[in-house]
Amino acid sequence: MNSDLFSQCNFAPECEKMISAVGFREFGWMVEGAIEKIRGGHTLLSELDAAIGDGDHGTTMLRGVNLLDKMLSNEAPNDLKSLTEKMGWTLMGVDGGSTGPLLGTFFLGISESIGDRQTLDAAALAEVFAAGLASLKRQTKAEVGDKTMIDALVPAIQSLQETAHAGKGIMEALRSAAEAAQKGALATKGFVARFGKAKFSGERTRGHQDPGATSICLILEGFYEGLLKRQAT
Amino acid sequence: MSMKKFINRSENLVQELLEGYTLAYPDKVRLAGSNLVVRATRKAVGKVGVVTLGGSGHEPGLSGFVGYGMLDISVPGEIFAAPGPPRVLQAIKMAERGAGVLLVVLNHPGDVLTANVTMELAKKQGLNVQEILTHEDISSGPREKPEERRGLVGFLPVYKVAGAAAEEGCSLDEVLEIAERMERNMRTLTVALRGATHPSTGQLLLSLGDDEMEIGAGQHGEAGAGRMKLKGADETAEIMLGQLLEDLEAEEGEELLVIVNGSGATTMMELFLIFRRMSQILTAKKIKIARSLVGEYITTQEQSGFQMFIARMDRDLLRLWEAPCDTPYYVVR
Repeated sequence: MNSDLFSQCNFAPECEKMISAVGFREFGWMVEGAIEKIRGGHTLLSELDAAIGDGDHGTTMLRGVNLLDKMLSNEAPNDLKSLTEKMGWTLMGVDGGSTGPLLGTFFLGISESIGDRQTLDAAALAEVFAAGLASLKRQTKAEVGDKTMIDALVPAIQSLQETAHAGKGIMEALRSAAEAAQKGALATKGFVARFGKAKFSGERTRGHQDPGATSICLILEGFYEGLLKRQAT
Repeated sequence: MSMKKFINRSENLVQELLEGYTLAYPDKVRLAGSNLVVRATRKAVGKVGVVTLGGSGHEPGLSGFVGYGMLDISVPGEIFAAPGPPRVLQAIKMAERGAGVLLVVLNHPGDVLTANVTMELAKKQGLNVQEILTHEDISSGPREKPEERRGLVGFLPVYKVAGAAAEEGCSLDEVLEIAERMERNMRTLTVALRGATHPSTGQLLLSLGDDEMEIGAGQHGEAGAGRMKLKGADETAEIMLGQLLEDLEAEEGEELLVIVNGSGATTMMELFLIFRRMSQILTAKKIKIARSLVGEYITTQEQSGFQMFIARMDRDLLRLWEAPCDTPYYVVR
């Protein structure tokens, strides 16, 4: 079941064009990709959550991306800082436990670190995503290995930074981040939950993939696919 | 999975529940802002506001206690899930009457996260708000690790004494001090016989054998440490009260507030049997039951079982507990 989810990601290095910078338009495409990915995967996310939590994670994520979609269609700001700030507030407003506030904090952190930059090259993209992660980490004590979204997000950002610092382009950096998130999400099967409601199910959570980490994986795959699909236009 | 509930569409569940609740008590509560449950008549200017947040599906908790002398605003989330910070921030602004706001948060991961993010945003915006976290469940963490203990029915006396102190005109620091004193002196232990189903997803939240009970099971079916063969009312009360008294270090001559809170599908008959045995044990130990409540104040759908609550009361706490309040689910005249 889980491997089916991952095989749906179309990594296509041969189709990647060299994109040197991301502005609000490209960022919007990335977000559209993530929205599509979550819409396709929300049932599976809820199934994963049903095994270790209360089964509502997919619904929460779906509600979140629907709000994002509405925001993008009706009131999308035309600069990167405001766009990511608005994304942060939108996601924070999703009433569904930890997911909304954590993802919201992530994008608010990104927004704050963007400053007045209108475009981001690969290194800058990695830098602002790392700032988002730092913001998110102030709100949770979870570390890698605790079976949370951190298990996908930390390696993804790390990979994004390494690829960017190696001088690669944005497409390659996003692909490596999505691949790292996949590995991180799959690895959660071996972990025992120590955070969230799943914590109280302890050992019973081993063997199940964490839904939060899977969501992160879908979002990063969506970022990559969204940009890949629109890069030529 | 078969679920037998009167529901229309699961995505409208919380909205419809809030509408029904506020329509049922229009003289006391109404919906305002982004689905906030607020008092029908605002608190007087110059008094501290009291706000809480938490998931839905636990009725009458938490919004059932909005009204004079208790909460000003409750921010309900989705089923068993915390609301997001923006609505809590809006509630804090609406509850501000010139004397600051106390935010009461039950210790559950999602609620705490929302509260932390909200407090950070509130500080940035220069709002005058203090937070109190309730964590009185003795089964979810050892005494040395209060941060691991969950917040259960103890929210009720915390709302009550904080709300009463606010109505008396106490400052925000004084209201916080009273709430903290109540919080420090209270303990809860749960027992479950059957788990509930999640009303949106149909997920069974806790699975127990026909002849089993689980001491320490959480409000969302979180596993407890004490799964055992089902026992009678007296024996169950003895085991649970013994653990509570030990954790609280309650002594002869002290006065307690006692609450037996049904989880949703346990009869009042059974709850009174439990209370009867508690009363006998406390009398034998020369510990006085100063005040008591038996009923449903926070539930988890059709979970059966109950929460047993005790708190050490001093003169201030008793006076504030007895002060008038007028909410849909708790009234003192």
